[in-house]
Amino acid sequence: MAEGDRGEVVQATVVSRKSSRISMVWIIPILAAVAAVGIAVERILTEGPTITIMFKVADGIEAGKTDVKYKDVKIGQVTKVELAKDSDGVEVTAKMSRRAAPLMVEDAKFWVVEPRITLSGVSGLGTLLSGNYIGFAVGKSTKPRRTFTALEVAPVITGGQPGREFTLRALDLGSLGIGSPIYYRRLQAGQVIAYDLAGDGDVVDVTIFVNAPYDRFVNPNTRFWNASGIDVSAGAGGVNVRTEGLVALLAGGIAFDTPSFAPKAEPAAARTVFILNSDRATALKQPDAVSARYVLYFTESLRGLSVGAPVTLLGLPAGEVTAIGLDLNPSTKNLRGRVDIVSYPERLVGRLQQNQAGLGQALLKNTAERHALVQYMVEQRGLRAQLRSGSLLTGQLYVALDLFPDEPKAKIDWSLAEPSLPVVPSTLPDLEGKITNILAKLDNLPLEAIGSDLSKTLATLDQTLQSTDKLVSGLDGKLMPELSSTFTDLRTAIASANGVLQNTDATLVGKDAPAQQELRDTLHEITRAARSLRVLADYLERNPNSLVFGKSQEKP
Amino acid sequence: MTVATAAQAGFVSCEACGLLSRPAGKSELGHCPRCGTELAWRRRQSIQRTWALVIAAAICYIPANVLPVLSTTALGSTDSDTIMGGVVFLYTSGSWPLALAVLVASVMIPLGKLMALTYLLITVQRGVPGSDRDRTRLYRLVEVIGRWSMLDVFVDTFTVALVQLQPLMSVKPGPGVVFFAAVVVLTMLAAMSFDPRLIWDAGSTREGNHG
Repeated sequence: MAEGDRGEVVQATVVSRKSSRISMVWIIPILAAVAAVGIAVERILTEGPTITIMFKVADGIEAGKTDVKYKDVKIGQVTKVELAKDSDGVEVTAKMSRRAAPLMVEDAKFWVVEPRITLSGVSGLGTLLSGNYIGFAVGKSTKPRRTFTALEVAPVITGGQPGREFTLRALDLGSLGIGSPIYYRRLQAGQVIAYDLAGDGDVVDVTIFVNAPYDRFVNPNTRFWNASGIDVSAGAGGVNVRTEGLVALLAGGIAFDTPSFAPKAEPAAARTVFILNSDRATALKQPDAVSARYVLYFTESLRGLSVGAPVTLLGLPAGEVTAIGLDLNPSTKNLRGRVDIVSYPERLVGRLQQNQAGLGQALLKNTAERHALVQYMVEQRGLRAQLRSGSLLTGQLYVALDLFPDEPKAKIDWSLAEPSLPVVPSTLPDLEGKITNILAKLDNLPLEAIGSDLSKTLATLDQTLQSTDKLVSGLDGKLMPELSSTFTDLRTAIASANGVLQNTDATLVGKDAPAQQELRDTLHEITRAARSLRVLADYLERNPNSLVFGKSQEKP
Repeated sequence: MTVATAAQAGFVSCEACGLLSRPAGKSELGHCPRCGTELAWRRRQSIQRTWALVIAAAICYIPANVLPVLSTTALGSTDSDTIMGGVVFLYTSGSWPLALAVLVASVMIPLGKLMALTYLLITVQRGVPGSDRDRTRLYRLVEVIGRWSMLDVFVDTFTVALVQLQPLMSVKPGPGVVFFAAVVVLTMLAAMSFDPRLIWDAGSTREGNHG
């Protein structure tokens, strides 16, 4: 062991140790393999389905960049964007996460989310920075599917939002659009989510979504109406302007309500079909279950009468005109106007007093009784139809049913399907005739002659006035001095008259005036006479017999 | 060319201090009397260890290239890039020298190291004839360039640390970078555990102890 020993190789010391044939180092590749396999397995396990979505255009969709998001959570990513085989669209392949796998069902929806600015709001602003992404809405089906066709526009309501969908049938779309608000008592309760032509293309089906909790106010009796724009109605009470709000004014809208007369009902099932009325008044009108049709034959002009014109009974709305036509009697060659009217007895019954409502209801139910009443009114009370002018300005006519007791008797033939009601000629032609007469007379007046006469007269009057003026000024000059001296004389005359009157006063009214003295004496005499008369009267009252027997002796 | 080696002469040299000594016994060589290092004819289990590390590196090489090394979130959209994806991106965006640099440093060098080590291991084990000098040169090359293939990991760590503009843009390391670093470290360890003397042993008398 000495270090100094050159060339000598020293003996190594022995330390016994166990030597293993396999190195511990092998743990490292095993660990690496475990890690790699673990990651691979995790990848495979988290691997979701690969789906294909057909788009019309790949608006901002990029492979490896565009995400598929649901509730703003990434559930997949686009891996490939290519033209469809028929070059008619874009085939987008997306790899979905495993958790999203059960959501890939038949009625799942995809669409491109891009910034959208509508009258009712701004959405998707985030995509301005991050780029478009593919939106997703879950379906209700459980059937899995791997190929989808994307929606062209983003649905307004995505799955999971509480509420219900309903379908409104309308004649036209009006100013409605996707996203148009739905109002319930002027609260926004939902939105229009889709519209489409329905049937043979003669109606439009508007699909709306009513959010919870408003959806429970929609029951089978609920009425919907188009609340777009302004509803202006003028009546005796003034002008009434109704609008559901500024947005509805600009973007259109739908309102709904349940009329107060409608019976309580359970909320309507989803996708129930309703009628979209054109306005609130029509929507909330009470339905007319009972109706009676009549025909009126008029010989006068029907100009100004239109279908839908009101029919009134004693001035109350009772029905409307349903058709206007001609009627030709083949035998008499008599051509006359035929007006079909329908009356809704319910409207009249509804106006009965509370205590008579039962009677009205009985009338509604019993047709025969109703006919009897109409017959009585026509035959005994003189119920007649008459055309009247609703407005002198527009010349619109309406049909009035009124009582004309002096009219000749008439009958109703109930055997006809549409019985004819007797009519009386309108008073309107009379009025017209009278006015024409007056106008003719006015026309005949020699207005020109009168005018020239009048101007002549005026000229004469002018001359007269001028001469009068001269006369007066002449009088003024000549008469004034004389008049003034006359006044002076008059004053002296009055003064002397005054003296005379004072003397007279002394004679007649003065204290020692002789006339006064005599008058006083006379009055004394009369007083005395009256007193003795009273004594006599008293006596006679006590002893009336003295008138016959004379004054009795005083008894002691 | 025959050269006398210590092992042929029955001596063992200490790997730490280089002291030549006579082994203590046939099976147990003992410890260096000068520095106390355990003595061995050749590095202990050199071939086996190198094999293990090379295999581990090869396993890690797959996820290192498949998994993203960097995920960039810019304006709400996230992009994940693998090494090859980065190379392709750099190439398509026109900076091919950079693409080449990344390709060489991050893909070719680790792969080349793995292949070189495997080649050395097989030739040493099988005693395949060839130029021992070239093999030694290859080994030296593997040792030297080993540290340079960490380039990708450095780039990754720098960008992750620097690019953190939270709402607008942020960069996060991907799982691939861990495996990539593992590949680099494991190949370096493999190169260290390989005993280059074995090349000569195999080339000359094939007498070496493959402990």
